[in-house]
This record gives sequence, structure tokens and C-alpha cells, in this order.
Amino acid sequence: MNTLELDQESAEWLRALQRDDRVRDDAIGRLHALLLRVSRAEVSRRRASAQGRATDDGDDLCMQAANDALMAILAKLGTYRGDARFTTWACKFAIYETSSRLRRAAWRERRVELDDSVWDRLPDAAPPTLQRIENDQVMAALRQAVDEQLTERQRLIFQSVTMDDVPIDVLAERLNSSRGAIYKTLHDARAKLRRALIEAGHGEHIS
Amino acid sequence: MKDLDLQRILGSEHSDPGCDEAGELMDAYCELVARGDPVSDQFDAFVTHMRNCDACREDMEGLLAMLRDEEKSRQG
Repeated sequence: MNTLELDQESAEWLRALQRDDRVRDDAIGRLHALLLRVSRAEVSRRRASAQGRATDDGDDLCMQAANDALMAILAKLGTYRGDARFTTWACKFAIYETSSRLRRAAWRERRVELDDSVWDRLPDAAPPTLQRIENDQVMAALRQAVDEQLTERQRLIFQSVTMDDVPIDVLAERLNSSRGAIYKTLHDARAKLRRALIEAGHGEHIS
Repeated sequence: MKDLDLQRILGSEHSDPGCDEAGELMDAYCELVARGDPVSDQFDAFVTHMRNCDACREDMEGLLAMLRDEEKSRQG
């Protein structure tokens, strides 16, 4: 990216961070302070939710998120294309690091396991997403497709995310994977299930 | 007839670039939305991903909130 195409402030950030002297050190210090502020604001914004309440060590979490965001930004500085202001691009990393930590903290004491009993529970004890599928034939076809079409890993990820509301960041941590890789598995599982439901004659419910 | 919860479980059949590629577009998309500028069809697949992925959608909401707070404090 030619820095001449950037707005003045973004170009200044980029120039400072690409130097090899005290100007760079100062810019890193200012950037870290910005990332920490954004991380704290994000924790505060989510405070009303279960995710926000789940962590007692909020400031420690924010510091770790700001540190990791800074490392990611410096490592990816060459990929900044100027599609947005530099600070917006950089703060995206702080939000990501903060939110994934909050999600993992909220699930710290909870197990993630393949629980096939979700399909057999009485309607009022089933996951809300299943309670709201009123067509029994569609539900039976969905269950059959999950059993027959998905691999065990796909079933674990599909059921955890869509029925038990397990965040994909939590699955990524427990399965030693990444958000992107877990989502790809979920995406492939969903595509298989959509195809199976269409082939079983239930296409009108999903498209 | 579409079943909305089945849609939520199965996601959209439209093109979905996944978390990594959508993440690369998130900053530009949020700036457009925060400024109230029109969002071009270049972001269609990004929007599909935001519908399909709770984690990325929450991150996008966080970035948008940050930009709106920034704009408020700029206006004083």
C-alpha cells in the first residue's frame, strides 16, 4: 500500500511504526494505550451480559488482550491496506482478543461434550432452537442427517454451537484449533445438513 | 415456508467467506456503517458471515460501538 493514499493520521502511524528508533517506541506506547482503552471499553460494554460478568480479573484480561493485539498488529503491519483508518484496523485486533478471552472466561468452569440426549428431551427441556422447530418430520430428518452425514467432530461442533450456544472461541481453545477452522467445520456440516434436508423433501423449510 | 430457527441452525446458503476473510473486511465495513455511508454489494458475503457467525457478529458490534463512542467524543 502506498502510504500517500492513506489519510494523514494513518500514514503517520504507519511511518512511525516502521521506523527503528525512539519514534517507533513512542508510537508503540501510544498504540498500546489505545488498545488497552478499547479493551476496557469493550469489557465495560459487555458488563451487563453473562460474558462480562464472568470475569473477576477484568483488568488483567484487558492487559493481556492489549498485549496480544499489539503483537498481532506489529506482525501484520505489512498487510494493512488502508481500507479503513489505521486506528480502526488496529482496534479490531483489540476487540477480537478481548471478546475471545471473555467468551473463554465465561465457559471456564463448563464442560463441552457431545450430548445426544438433546434430541430426546421433552420439548420444554430441549435447547430453545430445537423447541422452536415445530415440524416433527423436519426435526426427525435433521436428526437423521446429523447422525448419518456428519463426522464425530462435525457433530460435536454443530451441536455445541447451534444447540448449546457454545462460543466457537471456546471450542477452538478446547480442540486446539482456531476460530476460522472451527467455523469452517461448522460451515461444512451445515452445508451437508441443508443438502440432506433438501434431498429428503424439506427444502421449503430452509430456502 | 421458511422456518426461522432452522435457518439459524443451518445458516444461510449464500456465499460465506469464513471468519478470517470476513475479519479483513470488518474495519472498512464498520467505518462505512458508522458514517452512514451506503454499503456496496462488495460486502454481501461479509454480511452473510455476520448472520451465520455469532462470534464475528459480536466483534463487529464491539467495533461499531467503539467508532460511535469515538464520534460522540469528537463532537464533544
